Amino acid sequence: MIPQLVTYRQRRRDGRWLRLYVPVVPVVLLLSPLLLVAVLVGLVACLVFRVSLVGALRGTGQLLCALPGTRFEIEDGRTAVLVSVR
Amino acid sequence: MNEQRRQILQMLAEGKITADEAERLIDALEREQPESPPGAVPRPKPRPKYLRVVVNSEDDFGGDGPSRVNIRVPLQLLRAGVRLTSLIPPQALTQVNAELNKSGIPIDLTQLKPQHIEELIEQLDELTVDVDQPDTKVQVFCE
Repeated sequence: MIPQLVTYRQRRRDGRWLRLYVPVVPVVLLLSPLLLVAVLVGLVACLVFRVSLVGALRGTGQLLCALPGTRFEIEDGRTAVLVSVR
Repeated sequence: MNEQRRQILQMLAEGKITADEAERLIDALEREQPESPPGAVPRPKPRPKYLRVVVNSEDDFGGDGPSRVNIRVPLQLLRAGVRLTSLIPPQALTQVNAELNKSGIPIDLTQLKPQHIEELIEQLDELTVDVDQPDTKVQVFCE
């Protein structure tokens, strides 16, 4: 299952929270032209450096599918950052 | 009935030991090997899914208060990352080896096979690191 929602929360020094909820699928669809270019560049890079295309695509897919459940929470005094992938 | 219990009962039947001695021996045997209830199927230990890093520090470095780090990484993500490293071209590994040698770290990365790293990740299940200091606590574990 690919990530569905990425949550970014940041507490500023003044104590206010910045909350960003990023729905992955709509954003990917929105950025699909750029992603297509990035994939093409990646494929050319694989050919140039003689890296297995299938292996690279499979590895990237596995990496994306393994992302849900990741959570980074860092708090230092009044500043805090939370990144969560669901 | 296991073999040792059978031997104790055999000795009792042959009159080599008394009933009291047999009872004491069986008790001692049960203490050494606690038996699961009859009919119970031994359940395999659930495999951990996440690697956790938790740091709690009361140190007031910046003058803002205590620091806290809470990281949860799926073990599957580590495995996927490790599989990606197997795609690094050999010439890049050779260059990395040369640079590592220059820095005084004589590690030959070409000898590091994906299955070795996979085994390493598998063994992470049992990993627990606890560092306790009066004002800082670091924990690395799998859950």
